[in-house]
Formats: sequence, C-alpha cells, structure tokens
Amino acid sequence: MSRKVIPFIAAFVLACLVMVVAGVFSFSGAVSAEKFGSDQIWTQSYSAAESMKVIDVTGDGQYDLFIQNISGVRIYDAGGNILQDFVYANPKTTLGDVNGDGVEDIIVYHSGNSFSVDTIINGQQKTIASQLPVYTPSRNAVIRFESGPQIVLGDNGGNLASISTNGQLLWQKDFGSDETRGMDDARIGGVIHVAIATYDGSLGVFDSNGNIVWEVDQEQIRRMRAYDLNADGNSEIITGGEYGALFVYNAKDGSVLFSKSIGQAVSEVRTVELNGDPSSREFVVGGKEGGIWAFSFNGTTATQIWTASLSDKVTEISGLDIDEDGKEEAVIGDDSGKVAVFTENGSRNNLPSHNSGITRIDIGKLGNERYVVIADGSDVQVNKVDFNSIPGFQYTPLIVGLVVSAIILIIAAILASIPPKPEMKVSFQDKSKESLEAQRRMLKESIADVERLRKSGEVTGDAYLARLKRLRSDLSENEAAYKTAGYPIKVETFQCPNCGGTLELGMDKCEYCGQVILS
Amino acid sequence: MPALCVIAVIGIVILSLFFYLLNTARKKTPVNTNVMGKKDFAPVYVSLADKPDSIMRGMDRFAREVQTTEKAGDKWRWIPLIIFVTGVGLMMVDGLLLLLGYFSLVFSAGGFLLWIAAFIMARSLRRSDSLDFSPRYKSTKEILHALRDDLKHGSTFTGHLDLTGALLSTKVAREAKDAQNRTTKLFADPWLSLKAKLYDGNVLRVTAIQKSKKRDSYWKRSRISGKSKLKPEKFKGTEQELKVRIVVNPEVYKIVPNNEFKPGANIGKYTIAQLSTDGGMVNVVATSPFDEVEQSHILGFLKSTYSLLQRKAS
Repeated sequence: MSRKVIPFIAAFVLACLVMVVAGVFSFSGAVSAEKFGSDQIWTQSYSAAESMKVIDVTGDGQYDLFIQNISGVRIYDAGGNILQDFVYANPKTTLGDVNGDGVEDIIVYHSGNSFSVDTIINGQQKTIASQLPVYTPSRNAVIRFESGPQIVLGDNGGNLASISTNGQLLWQKDFGSDETRGMDDARIGGVIHVAIATYDGSLGVFDSNGNIVWEVDQEQIRRMRAYDLNADGNSEIITGGEYGALFVYNAKDGSVLFSKSIGQAVSEVRTVELNGDPSSREFVVGGKEGGIWAFSFNGTTATQIWTASLSDKVTEISGLDIDEDGKEEAVIGDDSGKVAVFTENGSRNNLPSHNSGITRIDIGKLGNERYVVIADGSDVQVNKVDFNSIPGFQYTPLIVGLVVSAIILIIAAILASIPPKPEMKVSFQDKSKESLEAQRRMLKESIADVERLRKSGEVTGDAYLARLKRLRSDLSENEAAYKTAGYPIKVETFQCPNCGGTLELGMDKCEYCGQVILS
Repeated sequence: MPALCVIAVIGIVILSLFFYLLNTARKKTPVNTNVMGKKDFAPVYVSLADKPDSIMRGMDRFAREVQTTEKAGDKWRWIPLIIFVTGVGLMMVDGLLLLLGYFSLVFSAGGFLLWIAAFIMARSLRRSDSLDFSPRYKSTKEILHALRDDLKHGSTFTGHLDLTGALLSTKVAREAKDAQNRTTKLFADPWLSLKAKLYDGNVLRVTAIQKSKKRDSYWKRSRISGKSKLKPEKFKGTEQELKVRIVVNPEVYKIVPNNEFKPGANIGKYTIAQLSTDGGMVNVVATSPFDEVEQSHILGFLKSTYSLLQRKAS
C-alpha cells in the first residue's frame, strides 16, 4: 500500500471514531450547559425552624408559610408579613383538616398544662386535650383512619397516645423505650394505618385502635418515612439507621424489600420525582457526613440511581421541577449552610450559601409564583430559583468532533506530503562489463578475506555471518546487474526460500536460518 | 493535598508537552550520542563500483536527497505548536462557560485530543529528521577526488564506505572474559575499503579499520549490602588501522627499501606496524591511536608508501 495512503486511512479511521463518539454524546443528551440560580424575594428573621410548610392555613385560597421552632408557631403571608404568631413551650406540630372544612389546620402538641394538644383553626387557638399520658413531645400526626381522623402523639420515651379531633383519648401504648423518630400514615390494602419508629430501633404499624399489625427491631432509627412509592395500595416504609442501615419495608407485613448500608448515619429521607415517571417514585437519602444517594423503587426493590455529596450533614431534601421538564430536581441543604440542586443524573448545581446550617426547605406557590423557601439557623428566606441553559449545546460535541477530525486529516495530509527518508544503503555501480567484473573480483576477495578472518579467529560467528550475508547480497546484485546489462554470467548465488538471505550455489543448508534446501 | 499533587503532575505533563512542541518547532532536538560519547551520525552504507566522478556525483546527490526530506518536514514544524495552542483555545471555551456559570468538559476533551494529535505529528516530524553525515563521508569523497587522476583510464573504484557504526554486533571480532566473568568485546569496523587499478599499472587496495574495545554491562553484587547493581557498559578505547597493499607493475617499478618508511616510523598520525615487500607486493599495516584520522593523513600515507617504488628507466 502506498506510503501516502496509509496516513489518510489511519486519519479517516480516527476521524470516524471521533465523530461516532461525538455523535453518541450529542444524541444521547449527555451533554448540556445548564445552570440554576436563585433570587431572594424576601427574608425574615426566624431561628432554627423545626417544621415549615407552604400551605393555605387561613382558608383564603392563598398559600401561606407555616413555620415552627422550639418557641412557637408563626404564619407568614406571601409577602413575608406575619399573619399569626403563637408562643409555645417545646411544641411539635402537624397539619391536618381537623374540622372537615377542607382547610388544613395546625395541631400543636406541647409541654404546657401537663402535655396538651392545641388546634389553630383560622387563627383561633384552642386547647382540645391536656394532661395527656405522654411526655416531652417528639412527633405527632393527623392520621385519617377509616373510622375517622385521629391525632397520634409520640413522646421522647416511647409512649404513644391517640386522641380524637375533639380531644378524647382513644388509645395509648408503650412502644420502644426511646424517642419517637418517625410517624407517618401507611396504607395496607388501601386502608390507612400509622407507622411509628423509635430511636431504639423499634418499628411498628398500628391500626386505628392502636393494635399493632406487625413490629420489627433493627439498628437505632434516625429517620422513618412511609410512602406508597408504586401506588399499589400498600405503602413502603423507609428507615435510616444510626449506623447507615437503609431499609425499605413492605407496610403490609414488614418484609424487607430492600436494604443497603450507606456507611454513615442517615439524616434525611424524602421522595423526589427525579425521572418524571409517575408509575414509580424515587427517594433521596442524605447522610450525616454529607453523602447523598438517589434510589428508584420499581415495586419490588430499589436500585441506586446515583450518589453525590455535600460537605456537611444533610439536613433537608426537597423536590422541585425547576426547569419545568416534568422531572423534579432535588434541592438539598446541609448543616454548613450549603444548598445545591441535584438533577436527575446527579449533577450538582450550587445555590447561594447561607451563613448558618439549613434546617428546612420547602417548595410551594406564594402569591403567583412557585418559590423555594429555605430556613436556616437564623432566617427564613423565600427564593425564586431559575434555570438557564444554552440552546443547542448538546450538539457541541459534533462541532468539536468536526474540528478535531479536520485537524487530524490536515495532519495526515502534511505527513503524507513529506517524502520518505532515503534508504541509507546506496550503491554506485558502473554498468560496464569491466566495472562489473572488477566489482565481482573485489567482492570475491572480500568474501575470501572474511573467510580467512574467521579461520584465524579474528571475527565471531555472528559477525562473520552478517558480513558474509552482506557481501553475498552485493554479489547477487552484481549478478543481477550483469543480466540487466545483457552480459553472460555464471550465476553463483541464490536466495534462501525461508529467510531470503543470499547463499552460494550448491549449499544445502542456509547458514543464516538453518533451513534445509532441496535443490 | 492529593489534588495538589495531581494538579502538579498535570501541569508538568502540559509544560513538558509545550516545550517538546516548541523545541520541535525550533528544531532544537538533543544530540544523540553513542557509547563512545560521540555524536551519532547517519548510518550510511555506500557500495562503490563506479568511476570516481560518478561516485562523487552520486554521493552529493544522496546527501541532497536526505536534505530534501528534512527540509520537506521543516516547513511544517510550527504546525504541532499551533495545534497545541488551538487545543488551549478550545479549553478556554470551557473556562469561559465556567465563568458564566455553566460546567462543560466538551471543549476540554476536544483540546486534549488536539494535544495528542500535535504530539503524534511532532514525533513524526522529528522522525523525518536525519542525522548529520559523518565527516568520513566527506573525507572519503576527497580521497576519491585526490586519487581520480591516478586511476587507469576507464576503470572504476570498487569497495565500500561503511558508516553504519563501529560498535555493531555484526562487527564483533573477538570476545574475551576476565576473571570477574565480565565480557569485553573487540570490534573491527572496516569502514573504508577501496580497490583501484592505477594509471601506472599498479593495483592499489586500501582498507581503513577502526578497532574498538567495549566492556558489556554486568550485574555486580555489593559485598557489604548484598544488593545487586547493574554496571553500565564501558567504552575502553579505540584506534585506527590502515592497511595498504600495492601490487606493483614490474614493468614500471622496482621496490627499493626506504629508511624513512620502515616499521616504527611515524607517517602523519600513523605509525607503521608491519611492512612486507615480498612477491612484488607492498603490504603495509599502520596504526594510529587517534579516534579519527583525517583524509590528508590517509593520502599522505599512500604517498609515502609510493616512496618504496622506484620508476625503472625506460
């Protein structure tokens, strides 16, 4: 093949390879230029929110911002003005429609009057139960059992109590021996139950009468959430342990659907619709060391989609479809004040940092816009998160591939244009008979010299063969020159059929390669 | 800290690549040296069987061809550096995007590919570089030029000029092992062999040989620590030998002794080691301790050898 063609073939193959890779990147959608930013709408001083929700609690059809910390409950309107403010001692709150008017009410479980429950309905504060058989508040939830809504309370010693919406004690129970760390409604065959977890590792599902349906013990539980991830009428209960054990239980019978050790204490678990497929939900787990894991649950088990990290303990996870592509992005905050948006494939985009650790993040419509509300150690901020992308950026690999391919082809053209290095062996041969005879005589003398040197031990075997090979080759060329010039010549050399070395006629074994020659 | 190390390594690699390409562009390549510590020359082998003018023209033409190849590559030598800079430009697009808040590695990947392409091109260009011709190439031409008028009309020089190197395995004359089992090789490189029928009917045969000695590398075990250490090969020295044979035309010359041309006599850089005038032939072997002997000394020695011949009265 021509020396000029080879660089072009190699360049063409390389250029094709580059273009194929560029095409794969372009058309797979793996390449994009996207960024998330945020503009602060308003901020108010509010320290260490424990609970926060964008929700209509006033019944005016406009969403408000409900927020609670260890000293009280406050409602802001969409513009950041305080609508309601209630002072409590060590309250725990939940939201639920207690009076059936279709508006979410605030239920406050607090330490006042020997542990009481208040409702705040349309700004009207009312104590519905007091001197309850539970102690320092830890968790409470409004569970809408088939028999009617109940307010279930859990304290920091494993005591549970349930009261009706008018304050009547319905049942009480001792469950576990430590702080209640999770309380959520869980469906079994479509029927609502309550799932409760305590820090000592007890997890159980209870019916409306407080009877336990099933109970398991595992390592100490830091977080427990219940979701019907695949909408089959049976909830999945996700627990995160003190030592990194992540379990997904079937709420029906407590069987383990998925388990994994993530290597650090689980600090938060939330669902986020990352892939935009409503037939399954994804959940995101945050760790105490800043680790983040996204899982997808397919109805049978969970699979990890991606993993990422923040620099400190993950304190809150929330989902928001920022770029309006039908897929939620996970907005995640950590204890150092960092907030980042993680996309479906786990790529991280930082939002402005806060001066103190993030305590709560919620997303909702305040006024006419959807906002991300972020509460940190000292403030609550309402932000408009926006998304920007460069249109057509996904095709840049093709452009870069074209540039690279063009340069590869130019290089091939340049290299092909350079003439080959001349052979370093040259022969100046006069074609006259006298000259050829003289050369032949000289070569034979030289061969005789080499033979003599070998006999006298002045040349080693390998060197002797190499020199002999060269001289015989010259002799063969001399014979060829004779023939070309048309002079008669008695041929005295032939080529070894195996190695191509020139040998003297009559030899039956090649001196260079050892080949036996039958001729 | 590990990140700093990675950045430092990447920085060193990029700088090395830059200077490699810059030196390619400026044609500043390191001089190759052989085990003798001498500059390496083009490994040329010239088979001689032609008239002196043809040989000299051919040698000039060959040198020109080699130069043409080199010049063809020379005009593209800045291209790899330009491609490198283009790669930097592509990477800067990613940097600009980063400043605007977007993260992209597409252009950096393209730039990296261009750097690889630039490196490959620079290597190819460097490979098209030729080594300089040995001074022996020119001096042989001058010997041929000096002798051309003494050549019998219409006859040719035969022989070879072998500049492929003095320390090739094909030129090992002897091997010897010392008491420590170290191998020393003796090389004989007949770099010039020339035979010519002269105008006066004499036949002149000249062979210039470079004899060298080299000790091979070997493993040496330390007597104290017991560790083995590879000792590099060592060049032990070289000398030049010149063999001259003149088959004297008895119709024109008779051989006469000459007190100034006898064994032990110094003729230029050479010292006569052996001299024989038996059988109507003058056989002389002369040695020189010098690494290199110029053509003037070879020609001078040939002229001195002729002092043994006395023209017969016609």
